Amino acid sequence: MYLKSSYEIRDKYLRKDMLPTIFCPGCGIGAVLQYTLRAIDDLELNQDEVVWVSGIGCSSRVPGYVNFDGLHTTHGRALAFATGIKMANPDLKVIAFMGDGDAAAIGGNHLIHAIRRNLDITVILINNFTYGMTGGQVAPTTPKGLRGTTAPYGSFENPFDIAELAVAAGANYVARWSVFNYLQGINSIKKALQKEGFTLVEFLSPCPISFGRRNKLKTAPELIKWYQKLSVPISKAKEMSPEELEGKVIIGEFTDRDRPSLVKEYEAYKKRAKKAMGWEE
Amino acid sequence: MRYPFPVGTVDFIQGDEAIARAAILAGCRFYAGYPITPASEIFEAMSIYMPLVDGVSIQMEDEIGSIAAVVGASWAGAKSMTATSGPGFSLMMENLGYAIMTETPLVLVNVQRSGPSTGQPTLAAQGDLMQAIWGTHGDHSLIVLAPATVQEAFDMTIKAFNLAEKYRTPVILLTDAEVGHMRERVYAPHPDELELIYRKLPANEEEAKYPFGDIHGDLVPPMPVFGKGHHTYVTGLTHDEKGRPKTVESEIHEKLLKRIVEKIEKNKKDIVDYEGYGLEDAEIVIIGFGIVTRSAMRAVKELRKKGIKAGLLKLNVLWPFDFELIERIAEKAGKIYVVEMNLGQLYHMVKEGANGKVPVELIPKIGGEIHTPKEIIERIKDNLR
Amino acid sequence: MGWVITMQIRLAGFGGQGVILAGVILGDAAAIEGLNVIQTQDYGSQSRGGHSIADLIISKDPIYDLIVTKADVLLALAQLGYDSTKESLREGGLLIVDTELVQPDREFTGAPFTRIAEEEVGLALTVNMVALGYLVAKTNIVKKESVEEAIRRRVPKGTEEINLKAFRIGYEEGTK
Repeated sequence: MYLKSSYEIRDKYLRKDMLPTIFCPGCGIGAVLQYTLRAIDDLELNQDEVVWVSGIGCSSRVPGYVNFDGLHTTHGRALAFATGIKMANPDLKVIAFMGDGDAAAIGGNHLIHAIRRNLDITVILINNFTYGMTGGQVAPTTPKGLRGTTAPYGSFENPFDIAELAVAAGANYVARWSVFNYLQGINSIKKALQKEGFTLVEFLSPCPISFGRRNKLKTAPELIKWYQKLSVPISKAKEMSPEELEGKVIIGEFTDRDRPSLVKEYEAYKKRAKKAMGWEE
Repeated sequence: MRYPFPVGTVDFIQGDEAIARAAILAGCRFYAGYPITPASEIFEAMSIYMPLVDGVSIQMEDEIGSIAAVVGASWAGAKSMTATSGPGFSLMMENLGYAIMTETPLVLVNVQRSGPSTGQPTLAAQGDLMQAIWGTHGDHSLIVLAPATVQEAFDMTIKAFNLAEKYRTPVILLTDAEVGHMRERVYAPHPDELELIYRKLPANEEEAKYPFGDIHGDLVPPMPVFGKGHHTYVTGLTHDEKGRPKTVESEIHEKLLKRIVEKIEKNKKDIVDYEGYGLEDAEIVIIGFGIVTRSAMRAVKELRKKGIKAGLLKLNVLWPFDFELIERIAEKAGKIYVVEMNLGQLYHMVKEGANGKVPVELIPKIGGEIHTPKEIIERIKDNLR
Repeated sequence: MGWVITMQIRLAGFGGQGVILAGVILGDAAAIEGLNVIQTQDYGSQSRGGHSIADLIISKDPIYDLIVTKADVLLALAQLGYDSTKESLREGGLLIVDTELVQPDREFTGAPFTRIAEEEVGLALTVNMVALGYLVAKTNIVKKESVEEAIRRRVPKGTEEINLKAFRIGYEEGTK
């Protein structure tokens, strides 16, 4: 794969007047944004026909930095807004940039229902195990025992596995990587963007300031090393026992299938309606 | 264009059905909702009609998602609507604020039922007036219309879309279970008879750069819809004229919010609508909105038969509120009664408008039943004794 | 029965008798004739078996009233419906009952609508149309033809003829 220079990608796709970003040193969101833009660039998607949608949180600021149509909405609701955009104009390609708290806590219900409907959308999910913007509270993804400001003695709840959740709810494509799997990441985003129906690419993404600091992982390199220790490729995981997988995070492609998408189903539904009314043969 | 219901003729239909048909005639092509009594009939009618007119009707996971989808569809260029009641209306408050902040045209129908909480799901009330105007957090303005008949539910739905598109704002159609469920004779015009307004789009690339700027001096920026190459960024954060987040600059926040409020307030003359009966010589004026004004009208007629100079002011638009109109009435009347199906909401606005010039008395009623004309007459006559 | 400016009509029965559909059809017929009309309904929360009331106000003037306060006409298809609504019929108002299902305690007219529907129409479900035909013949609130048009518009597709038949049989009965 030929990689263009980052500057070229930046100059082509970012809004200079919106920079600098709000992201902290060591944050992984910028890297994932770059992967996404590289995927768009590689696929030569028409910038005028792609809409970025987001909710609230650090990662949700991304649509503001990119030179596309963008809707920065309310906390957790991005996919509900996106449902309206896509269904009202199916010619648009919709990308939702979400965080783990945004997608899996306050937006958890919108997430599973958007997947159930197989809404045509690509979700890029930044999972940093915490609420970064509001100062490091525990998230529904925080591994048990790790600390946040709202569980200062270590989280006592079970975390969600968002990728597995997405597979179970019926997504057409689901992959999870950490930010240092950049080629796999770009390729997964490319795959996701080319599919109809719901696609999700999750990234384990470092948040040294709000998450790492409280969990003896003060810098991005420390977090990345921790991810390396934590993550198990899906092919390897298949040969491991549940005990061995305890506390691990599986990375790789979780599913790749082609169930009929919401847009397709609705087109058929319109035909069915007209037939039922005797308007069409 | 083929319509799945009769147009250019009269029909005998429920208020909820009338709202759905009028929305389609107004050009609404996106509906998202969640089932709730007594608004479900609007959704069910939309579900029948929308796929036939190549529109979308979709059942979301809740009312939060419903209004969110409606906002999204509006930015994708569609005239969009949702309808709900009681608890669902409360859930919509968050994204109603988003729609106000992002100046997104949409129509939100609230078929009021008796609350709070689950309350009396099948019975009418007018307890959501203050919530309709002030329910979402922060300073804001929007438009609230209130029909009293099935024909008005029809006509005001079309008006709601026109106002939403003209002023780039959410418009609330504040109706109730009684209007929603009763059937009346309605004239549904042929689309050619309708004057429909569509949002102002940017005339060129330069205009499109200012999706939140008063570039025409009319306080309403052109709306660059998605997919036209404008690369518009829309955020619920305080933003400048180009849509860029400016969250700590107080002067930008003040400028934005003042414009959002003023585009409604300064166009009050264009928006407000009311009907008066006997106001020329009325010593006693009854003021109300929606369903209860029908009983009030009967009461006024009966009182006049008995030689009591009564009049009725029926408010068709509840926000922006015409405080000056109330003051003009207060200057002439001897007494104002506010009739409403709650424990006093419009009352406070009328009192403010009356400005102490005349006594204002509340005739409240809750429990799901509408005031009978007799109840209103007796209350007024008791005071005359 | 002669026309006054405004007529208040109440139809009462139990859920499943089609009382509300009869009310809607009568209202539709009035609308077809250019009269002002409002129809409201009241029913128990159960889908079948509870009381069911359809109210209509038909007027040559604008209608401000919403509920039937003093009915000019009360049609009762079941004792349950009669008992809960009889007080609303005005002095001298017209009471129409299913004579085999309702035992009124005041002056009345009527016919065994349910039996007629079963035996003459051949479908018990059409009792509402039989009774409506009878009511229209007795009151002349609207023209027979307007009701027939409304029936065609309102009843489920494929059932137009049997409903019209039921309406006409009821109408005949009412002219006797």
